[in-house]
Amino acid sequence: MATTATLVKPKRGGRWSPWLFAIPALAVYVGFLVYPALSSLWFSLTNWDGLSATYKFVGLDNYFKLPQDPVVVEAVRNNLIWTVVTIAVPTVIGLLLAIALNGKVHGKPILRLIFYTPAVLPLVSIASIWGWLYNPQYGAINSFLRMIGLDGLAQAWLGQDSTALWAVMVPAIWLRTGFPMLLYLAALQGIPNELYEAATVDGATKWQQFWHVTMPSLRPAHYIVLALSLIDSFKVFDMIYAMTYGGPGTSTQVMGTWMYFNVFQYYQAGYGTAIAVVITLVAIAVGIPYVRSQTREAS
Amino acid sequence: MSTSYTRRGFLGLTSAAALGAGLSACTGGGASSGGGATQAASNNLRLFTYEGDETIGLLKAQVKKFDEQNGTTTTVDSLPGSGAAVYPDKLRTELLGGKGPDVWRIWGGQIGAPFAKAKQALDLSPYYSKYGWDAKINTQAIGGMTFEGMKAGVPFVSLGIGAWYNKSLFAKAGVSAPPKTYAELEAINDKLVAVGVTPAGLGGKYGWDIMRLFEYLLEHTAGPELHDKLLTGAESWDRPEVVEAFSLFKKWQDKKWLPQGALGLDPADIEPAYVQGKTAYTITGPWTEAAAILSAKKSSSAFGNFELPTDKTPARHSGFVEGYMINAKSGNADKAAALIDFIVQPATQKALQVTASTVKGAEPDPKTLPLAAEWAQKYGSNPFYTIQDQAFPKKQADQYFSVQSDLLQGKVAPDAAAKKMQEIVSAWAKS
Repeated sequence: MATTATLVKPKRGGRWSPWLFAIPALAVYVGFLVYPALSSLWFSLTNWDGLSATYKFVGLDNYFKLPQDPVVVEAVRNNLIWTVVTIAVPTVIGLLLAIALNGKVHGKPILRLIFYTPAVLPLVSIASIWGWLYNPQYGAINSFLRMIGLDGLAQAWLGQDSTALWAVMVPAIWLRTGFPMLLYLAALQGIPNELYEAATVDGATKWQQFWHVTMPSLRPAHYIVLALSLIDSFKVFDMIYAMTYGGPGTSTQVMGTWMYFNVFQYYQAGYGTAIAVVITLVAIAVGIPYVRSQTREAS
Repeated sequence: MSTSYTRRGFLGLTSAAALGAGLSACTGGGASSGGGATQAASNNLRLFTYEGDETIGLLKAQVKKFDEQNGTTTTVDSLPGSGAAVYPDKLRTELLGGKGPDVWRIWGGQIGAPFAKAKQALDLSPYYSKYGWDAKINTQAIGGMTFEGMKAGVPFVSLGIGAWYNKSLFAKAGVSAPPKTYAELEAINDKLVAVGVTPAGLGGKYGWDIMRLFEYLLEHTAGPELHDKLLTGAESWDRPEVVEAFSLFKKWQDKKWLPQGALGLDPADIEPAYVQGKTAYTITGPWTEAAAILSAKKSSSAFGNFELPTDKTPARHSGFVEGYMINAKSGNADKAAALIDFIVQPATQKALQVTASTVKGAEPDPKTLPLAAEWAQKYGSNPFYTIQDQAFPKKQADQYFSVQSDLLQGKVAPDAAAKKMQEIVSAWAKS
């Protein structure tokens, strides 16, 4: 401890030296992130249409309108469903794949590549591919169902409220499974073999080893996977926009797309920015445990 | 201690800043509210458009010709295939960034209106006088780009929406001629379904494509005068004619005259299906000849078009205008107006192969675009009603599309749909 303190203790400039070194990076943050964010916060208190040179200050009116907007209610509900499903399913599948790939499996690098490839594909391509797969008349999914005699299950997957959101979640799960898989795989490889050997000597079954050795050792990975997935899920925009455009009707609207529609399509930038502020506050709230865990580790 | 505090502080600060990035990204960092001051005058112009691959080369060639004659250098940027759902957003962002184009192409009606209302588009009245555009361009089309008395755009194309069909599929169903009445159209649909062909290839993603069917049905049930009043909110939508139109709309789906799961289909995929032989026809405009038929290397002679029969007088079809606006902050407004005047010359319009020009003397060439020429000759002079996604602002149009969607899914009945439409339109009319 004494050595560390001696090494980093500045001789000149006192406690301000670290801030001086940070100024270039902070300037970039302030100029390109903090300032626009504060500007956006300001516009959320106005009735700006997003195009005109003038606007009026309306206080918190835009925020009061939010709970009265039926699409916002629908979007929040969709966000919650999306968040739960697209975190739980890829995380569980990613963990199972990581455990499988961590064992003695032939062609491990190829399998890793296959499972991770969807994550690097452009989202618009994924949306197009799945849009074709879901085509009610000519799509591969309905064709397959009809081929095996399950005609009754063939649906207009993206064309009805009851299935549209779930149909969009399938490719989202497909593309998001690779990320937790890689993180868990790296974490699994960091678990000392001695722990398993000791557990075996103590007579622990494979299932007991999983719950009492593997899972506790993966705790840091769980933090990262859950926190990043949570933030990512709440900010969902692209898949919905590309696959359903928020429809049919407004049945697949989420907060991100509804913000976009208001700011960029309805010329209600003030109201749309209020939605953006709410999204950001929620993202910050769910991100706090992650930030705290990181700062705790750093200290 | 001080080292620990500093590291934690910085880490926390950067993490918080990273989260704050979400907010700035969500709003595009839009701190500017006016798009900056008037740009400096120069010989450099920029034109922003949404020409497709099949016509952008023609436009660039004509613009180059203009540059050679006027000593200007014009950059042409295009965002092809995006449609009215995306292109205006890009334009708006450019204008707010202070680097907006000098000239841009835009649709008329409620899509172009916000740019005039926000005074981003220049009042072109002085240039109308200078170049005599009032005498050269179709008066009804000019009306489509005039907002609250301000001539904010110069329309160069006036497009009519009709049915474009595959002759071989009509023949397969034993149909020898296009329908003359609505009853005949329904009979044709039944014949097509009987031979396993989906009649109308329309898609509900975005809402505007399948809307073309409903607006036609409304013209059929309400007639021209009432239809026009409905679009402006001058008459209530909660009435029998509208209920009947919604009932027919549902009927088209229930009788499988629309593709299965039409609501989820992308117009870009389903519209050209009539060229591919998967549907018998679609409801679209003359651009389909170049964009769908000729680009698929098919002969125009295998296809035909007809005005959807309304059984009303005068016979009308859906239509809209597109034209050019000038940036109110452009330092080159005079040169931009000269460029527009060059573009709306009959010779330039012909060179651009504009399929439905508003310019007198620039009718489409039957040799290159026979079907578009046929449409112009047969129906081009017929009056048209404003296409509904231009009649309403985007927000109200989307609400209207939601009503269509709910109706087709059976979530609301036709009479409830009519009531809901009245709520939407009256709220807009009052605002």
